[in-house]
Amino acid sequence: MAETVLQVKSVTKHFPGVVALNQVDFNNYAGEIHALVGENGAGKSTLIKVIAGAYQPDGGEIIFGGQKTVWDSPHQSREAGISVIYQEFNLFPDLTVAENIFMGNEPLKAFRLIDYPKMIKESDELLSKFGICIEPLKKVKDLSVAEQQMVEIAKGMCNQTKLFILDEPTAGISDQEAETLFERLAVLKAEGVSVIYISHRLGEIFQIADRVTVLKDGNLVDTFDTKAIDKNTLVSKMVGRDLEDIYPPKGGEAGGEALSIKSLSVGHLVKDVSFSLRQGEILGLAGLVGSRRTELAHGLFGSLPITAGSYKLGGREVSATNPQASIRSGLGFLTEDRKNEGLVLGQSIEANITMPILAQFANNSLVDFKREKNFCQQEMDKYAIVAKSGEVLVNNLSGGNQQKVLFSRWVQACGGVLILDEPTRGVDVGAKVEIYKIIRDLAESGLAILLISSELQEVVGMCDRVVVMKEGRLAGELENDQISEESIMHLATLSRENFVCD
Amino acid sequence: MSGTTINLERAETSRLAQAKPFFQKYGLYVFLVLLILIAVSTSPQFLAPRNIQNLLTEGAPLGMAALGQTFVILTAGLDLSVGSLMSSVAVIATSIAPDNVMILPIFLIAIAFGALVGFVNGWLVTKRKVSPFLATLATMIVLQGLRFAWTKGAPLSGHLPPGFRVLGTGTLLSIPVNLWALGFLILVFAIVLYRTTYGRKLYLVGGNPRAAFLSGIHADRVIIAAYMICAVLASIAGLFLVGYVGSVDNWVGKGYELDSIAAVMMGGASFKGGKGGIFGSLAGVLVLIVIYNLVLLLGFPIQTQLVVKGLVIILAASFYLTRGD
Repeated sequence: MAETVLQVKSVTKHFPGVVALNQVDFNNYAGEIHALVGENGAGKSTLIKVIAGAYQPDGGEIIFGGQKTVWDSPHQSREAGISVIYQEFNLFPDLTVAENIFMGNEPLKAFRLIDYPKMIKESDELLSKFGICIEPLKKVKDLSVAEQQMVEIAKGMCNQTKLFILDEPTAGISDQEAETLFERLAVLKAEGVSVIYISHRLGEIFQIADRVTVLKDGNLVDTFDTKAIDKNTLVSKMVGRDLEDIYPPKGGEAGGEALSIKSLSVGHLVKDVSFSLRQGEILGLAGLVGSRRTELAHGLFGSLPITAGSYKLGGREVSATNPQASIRSGLGFLTEDRKNEGLVLGQSIEANITMPILAQFANNSLVDFKREKNFCQQEMDKYAIVAKSGEVLVNNLSGGNQQKVLFSRWVQACGGVLILDEPTRGVDVGAKVEIYKIIRDLAESGLAILLISSELQEVVGMCDRVVVMKEGRLAGELENDQISEESIMHLATLSRENFVCD
Repeated sequence: MSGTTINLERAETSRLAQAKPFFQKYGLYVFLVLLILIAVSTSPQFLAPRNIQNLLTEGAPLGMAALGQTFVILTAGLDLSVGSLMSSVAVIATSIAPDNVMILPIFLIAIAFGALVGFVNGWLVTKRKVSPFLATLATMIVLQGLRFAWTKGAPLSGHLPPGFRVLGTGTLLSIPVNLWALGFLILVFAIVLYRTTYGRKLYLVGGNPRAAFLSGIHADRVIIAAYMICAVLASIAGLFLVGYVGSVDNWVGKGYELDSIAAVMMGGASFKGGKGGIFGSLAGVLVLIVIYNLVLLLGFPIQTQLVVKGLVIILAASFYLTRGD
């Protein structure tokens, strides 16, 4: 058995009202890739932050390199040889690759001046050792996401890292780039470096990881050898319940055509997309990250300019050039980025719900607060939004409740067609189940729903029909029994090299 | 993983909110009371009716300017052209025939001029994406230049209609006329801010312009209107100021832009927008004018006013304001 690099012993971490980690055990060997999986809210981030010293555990201990350690700050763990690569990189965009790699660790010459030639030479050596072709004098902001990731890894190697922690490294990169990443990880592994790998993509976990640990609601479920477990078992361990309990039954009669899109193009982003959506139907819009599903939605909503083609809402041609016109013609759009594009966090639940329809609560521009308050109280009851009153700032709500505020807003504002972009991102399983029920109920009440989601399971579980996009174009359409994670993936990645099927 | 992150953040904020002491919420008012107590105990004249009246008369134009500045700062902007606009309006008023019949036309011209300047500011900020600092700095300089070109740099030899002196220094029912005017403006703009859909939209756009836009709010129009409200109020403030001072040079409104910004910020606003309000800003104005008054009453050299003012702003900022809040 290889040397144990990291041992986490019954670590517990509390936050007010939440047990984020409950006596979790975890260990990592040298030269091992250990995957960490679980639903949102399972405690993966907290565990990583405890290991990296960003949080101090309330109980239990961490043994790193054979020694019991208590980190006071992430800085100490970094010095000791732990590198965490978060989804948001810790790089300085206006500095060069070499400067970033040697940040805080620069080779010096006389008078404490930086020895640039040496730094550049060593960067080059470090990068080429991993077969990475990046010019050390390039600025980091000019690199692709995948290249920046490589710079992070090179920086970690420069700091004598013994344990790399990668938090969803493939979320923002293409499959081809992901393959390159896997190759580099194999090199690290061969060097005896230990890796903790967090990902929602189970396929790649089976491809690269030696072991996989499942967390659920802050508890350790178990650690498995990837060779000794299959994908379905892993999913049921993560979710902790059967899929039938999560998704409401499909069905319901689809009515007349609510939205029909003809050869729509949005700049260079979306090209020649056509499909239609009927009343009472949930249509999935699937595809990989970067397949421009969100851009298509922005085109329909008037927040990105349509450059060719047209679309009809309820049989009428629409030519909206701004969101206000789209809303008037019956479209609602629940955006994927709740904090930046959806909510005004510093304002009340009421103000957030009535945002697009404020005029309905006003007489001669004066807001009728009583009417607004009564209405919002009804909405909060209807969607089971948990808060003391409608005056509570949305900032103080959980992810699930925030999302329900947005549902309330858009169901009221839209007149027939509702676009939902990643409606369950960042909410816990319980809230997810509630949201799925809300979506199905809306469809049954006659609303036409376009559901954009990157969670294949969700698309399969919720949608009556699925259209798949690839690189800004429509790749295909699936109905009824044709809908499966495999068939969607097949369309989404068709003709792509290097894709490894589950 | 974002689910956990959100939960944790929420836990952090609620803990902060609980720990947030009383004076972080009402800090400015506590501060103002303390300042007045100091004033009363160190100078017996402070509470004399005559002094209170002087103090408020002198402070009214700043109150008007701060009222307008509040609207702009709520949009995550700021208006540096306020002082220059006040001076320009004063010059315009003095350049028109010194006849009481002209008071109403002067007001109308000043308001129209202010609306134009505000529109230019708002247009630059929204349609041309110029940063509010640069846009209003440029407007400030252009107005200054126009004023100089018009007056040739010399103090104006013209005269105001005598009625202006009454507006600036007179009383009605033993309350200064300009305080009546300030009170009226506060009433109007408090209704605009707290009762109308426009006021609600202003907070929404200030809090998250992207989300507001995607909810069908014409964010640009809301922001342009805020700059216009600010400039119109600055113009009115300029007229009352020139009425109070009585004579006009090119610099009569100098410093009002920064004083009004300081007052609004002390009143709990944030340069990130979406936060603050009229009554906080007015309390900020009171802090500033009480300091001025106190320095005079205590017989300190006039030059120390600025030192004391700066120190008090620092004190207020470190006493109850939190960064980025």
